[in-house]
Parts: sequence; C-alpha cells; structure tokens
Amino acid sequence: MRTFSELEMDALTEAFNLSLGEAASTFSAIVREEIELSVPTIEIVSREELTGRLESAQPAGATERLCRINQHFCAAGGFQTDALLLFPEHGSLEIVRRMLGDDTAIEHITELEQDALAEIGNIIINSCMSSLASLFGSEMHGSLPRVQSRTVHTLLDDKAATDVILVARIGMSMAAHNLHGFVLFIMDVPSIEHFMDRVSRYFKLQLHDTGERV
Amino acid sequence: MDCCHLLPDSVDMGLIMVDGEGRIRLWNRWIEERTGRLASQVCGVTLAEAFGPHVDPRIALVVREALDFGWSARLSHALHPMPLPLYPPGGGRVERMKQSIDITPVQGEGGPRCLLQVRDVTETVRREALLKQQSRQLRLDLLRLSQAQVELQRSEMRFRELARQAPAGLFEADAEACCTFLNERCEQILGHSLENVAGTPWINLLPVSEQARVRAIWCLAVASATRFAEEFRYVGPDGESRWIRAEAGPQRDGNDRISGFVGTLLDVTEFHERATRNEFRANHDGLTSLLNRDRFERHLRAAISGAREVADRMALLFIDLNDFKGINDTHGHHAGDTVLKTIAARVRRVLRSEDIVARYGGDEFAVLLNGTGDPETLDAILFKLHQAVGLPINLGHCHVRVGCAIGVSIYPDHGSDPLSLLTHADKAMYAAKRARYAKNDPIAHPSAQI
Repeated sequence: MRTFSELEMDALTEAFNLSLGEAASTFSAIVREEIELSVPTIEIVSREELTGRLESAQPAGATERLCRINQHFCAAGGFQTDALLLFPEHGSLEIVRRMLGDDTAIEHITELEQDALAEIGNIIINSCMSSLASLFGSEMHGSLPRVQSRTVHTLLDDKAATDVILVARIGMSMAAHNLHGFVLFIMDVPSIEHFMDRVSRYFKLQLHDTGERV
Repeated sequence: MDCCHLLPDSVDMGLIMVDGEGRIRLWNRWIEERTGRLASQVCGVTLAEAFGPHVDPRIALVVREALDFGWSARLSHALHPMPLPLYPPGGGRVERMKQSIDITPVQGEGGPRCLLQVRDVTETVRREALLKQQSRQLRLDLLRLSQAQVELQRSEMRFRELARQAPAGLFEADAEACCTFLNERCEQILGHSLENVAGTPWINLLPVSEQARVRAIWCLAVASATRFAEEFRYVGPDGESRWIRAEAGPQRDGNDRISGFVGTLLDVTEFHERATRNEFRANHDGLTSLLNRDRFERHLRAAISGAREVADRMALLFIDLNDFKGINDTHGHHAGDTVLKTIAARVRRVLRSEDIVARYGGDEFAVLLNGTGDPETLDAILFKLHQAVGLPINLGHCHVRVGCAIGVSIYPDHGSDPLSLLTHADKAMYAAKRARYAKNDPIAHPSAQI
C-alpha cells in the first residue's frame, strides 16, 4: 500500500488542523462556550488494522458502543469517500448534554440528542471536507449525516474489506470534559490512488511555489 | 409523472427550494400554512426578504455552502431551536414552531439549487421533556428510597444491638405462637436457639401441666388483640425449673389483622422463690417450720365454719412440754431448740397430713384434728403423741427425755367458737399437767438425763 511521505503527512495535518479550527469556532458560536478541537494525528490504515486497533484500545470485556456519524461524499471523476466521525457513545452523549445544558441522566440517547449529534458530526466532517476539496480543486457532493450506534466489532461491517482508510484522530474538549474521537475517510482503491495523486501533485505544486519564493 | 408537481404540497414537511442566486423557487403548502405567506408572494425573492430579519444566521451560511460546494447540512432543534419564523397553523403567532432543518444541494439543469426540508419537532420536544422530567422524578424517588433503606438498615442495626445487650429476653412470635425472633438473652432463658424452636409454638416448650392454661390465655390475647401477660413454670433442656414472666403486645399486618406478638421474657425464678419464702415465713414458725399461732387461728376459724356446715366434729389439742425450761437452763438454748424441732417433727409424723399442727407459744404446740369426734380414736392419738414426745432426744453430748401435758376440746361439745375452744383446751392441758404431777408420772417429770 502506498503511503504518504513525511512532508505530505505534515501538509495534510496542517490542512485538517485549519478545518478543525473552523469547526471549533462554529461550535463555540452555536453554544456560546469555548470548545477546542485538538491538532489531529493522521495516518492511512486498512479496515482490519483499524478495527483491531480500536478493539485493543478498549479494556478487555468492555462493551462500550461507538457513536458513528456518517456522510457520503462523491466528486466528479469517480472519486468517492465515506466520511465517518467516531466518538465513544457515553462521552459523546455527555458532551451533547453539556452543550444543551441538560444533565438528565437517561441511559440512551434521545431522538433530539441524536439529531444534535448529527449536526456536530456534520460540522466537523464538512470542515474536514473543505480541506480535501481544496486539494482536489473540485466540488464534492455530501449527503446528510446519519447517526448510528455500533460496537467496535461491527463498526465497519458495511464497508469493503479492501477499502483503505485515512484516519485523523481528534480530541474535543469543553469545560473540563475531554472526548477523543476519530474522523475517518474510507475510500476504495481507485479513490485512494486518485487521492494520493492529487495530494502529491498539490504538494509538488506547493513545493514548487515555495522554491520559487526562496 | 404528471402529478409530480402535486408532490411538494402532499408531504408533511416544509419544502423550500432556492436557486444559485439564493432566490426562492419552491415554497410548498406546509410552509404557506406556517408563515401565512403564499408561494406566489415569495417566489423570486431571497430567504431574508421572505422571512424578514429574524432568521438564524447559520441558515444563510449552510445554504451558501450547499450552493457553492454541494455540501449537505443539518440544523438540529437542540442547537437551533427555532431558526425560521414559522408558527403552528391555525394558532396565534405567539411562539415559533419547534423545528429541525435539513439543507441539501440539488443538481439540476438550471444550475445548483438548494432544498430546505423543515420538520415540526414540537411533539418530539414535548415527549422528550416529559421523558426527562420522569427520569428526574425517578432518580429523585430512587434517591429517597435508597436513603430510606439506609435509615432502615441503621435502625435495624440499632435494634439488633439493643436487643443483643438487653438484659431481658426479647421475642417475636406469629399468631400461632411460633417464634420468628429471639435475642441472645431469650435463647439463654429458654435454653434453645431460634433455629431449634422456629417451627413450633413456644407454648409447646412448657411443662404439659402449664400448656393448656397458657395456650388459652394466648388464644384469648390473639382473639381480642390485647396484651398477653402471664407467669408460668418452665423446665429447660438442662432440667432446671424456673419461673418465667412473658409480656407481649399484638402486632398487626397490612390488613389490620393480628400477625403476631412482640414482647419480653423475664426469668422471675428468684422473685418467685423469695415470695414463697416470705409467705412461708409469715405463716410458719422459723424454728420448727410448723404453722405459727396466727396462721393456726385462721385455720381454726375456717375449720369451725367448715365443720358447722357439714355438722362434723373436730378436736383441738394443746400440747405443753414438761420442764422444758430445765433443759434450756441445763444444756443451753441450742439444746432447747433441738428439743423443740425434734418434738415438732415427731408430732407431725404421728398425725395425718390433713391434720394441722402449729407451734403455739414457747414450748406449746396446738393440733387440729378434723373429723375426729369419737373418744376411742382420740385416745389412741393422744397415746401415740405421748409416746412420740416421750422418746429420748439426742443432743449430741447426751440424750434427754421430755414429757408433755395435752389438753383437748371438742367442737361442738366444748364450744362453737375459737376462743371458747382454745380456753377449754388450755384449761384441760393445765388440768392434765396437774394430774400427772400429782401421780408423779415419770413421763410428767422427764428431763432426766439418761
């Protein structure tokens, strides 16, 4: 599997960081409270690898479910990706309730809370997508967000085993509440090739620009 | 496909379509009903013009993103409660309808467009508010319940500790008298642990002679829902006999029926023994354990009225020891006491158990013989008494003999009231004494050392 060079990775991280900063300020404006989204760490992994890693990150026997917010994007030229935002269900519910100023302890997420979670995912995913879109220099059509609750084991069952995943690990904090989650971009092989090409082309262009300036 | 144009007005949600310029191209009936503005009035104008200034600014932002980048967005009710000035149809325009809005890009022949789908979530909000209210109430109830449970546990522990330390036996029994709780002291008094006796009515543990009486009192207490209080004899597994006093109050169940009793058990053996001793002392002579003078006279009065009723005869004897003073003087008071005790025992032994014997004075004894009227029988008794009294008495360092004089009076021959009978017997006793001295009878002059 092709990987990014260190410099390409840095550029991607920088792009996502900018997007997450935008998302954080959108949140803060909505809930009128400081919300921070930390600098993401980025890598490319296979579906099995990611599932295995998420499983090993959980304490043995834990059955913590993950909240999965999914949006599908497609661009002209056949490129398509599923953008997923993953948060531990319990922690995400806590953050949502803090945002809504409601501390009622109901074990399961309510319809309105699920809707709010969809919007939060929507804001983060759209922001991240703005970074990718600028790399592609083309429009990417996005579907509405879909919220699902899943165990790690069945998390990516609906995706093809051959898919490759671009993972951005992000942290979200609000009033002493810390929540760690992942933004995943799941792509099929032609899409990832296309994506890699675009990244390297964009990066070379940038290098070229910088070289000229120097 | 002809009916496609009917679709927007048939769905139960608000639909607004804007073109690339941000101008309204679709405004369905649902929106008309909730804004009071017709499609014909707003077609071609911008959202800001159609709704006025009171629109959530984020709507404009996401509509722009949809048109320019093709992104979809959701405005949840939780984070944007009422972004558009929509009001419930038919109602006054007082409070905005609660909404959730989805914004999606639409690619058409006329360039990019954007569709706003508005859902009325008023009912969902109401339902969830109710759910949360119930959840809070439930949590509060649970908290109260667990507090009450803690208090109950504390109170139970307090009771257990008190019960453990209590000097009295504490018990709880059901209406059938089966014990459901015994404290340590109670187990000690009964000589049984709760496990041993739990299935049996505690009354069955009593001696058979006590069971019927105590059971009747228990049943009465259950039937009348009154206090149970009774003393009874109890023989423990160690064979030791004791007196127990049980007191208990009724307990009622949820249906106000008597479910059992809770109360105390006290070992009153010592109290009983003391009372018995006191009663004995009050009625008996301390030295000889015969009845005392007081008690004898009460018996005499009772015997007279008894004999009067059945027209019976009876004899009253006065026995006076001869020269008792001499023994006291010669051998000391201790020897005198031994003589009195010995004579008392011999007189008692000679007579029938129903005859009454008393120490009447210093060396005087009185005897009441019921139903002894005929002279032969009486003479035989008098002879036996003289014989018994006259036997040698061992003082340890020597033997002595005492004689006695006996005076007799017969009811009704010599009187029909205590005083006249006593006086007659007394006189007869002195007469006998004088007669024996006159005859120099050796039995009348005993006191001789053997």
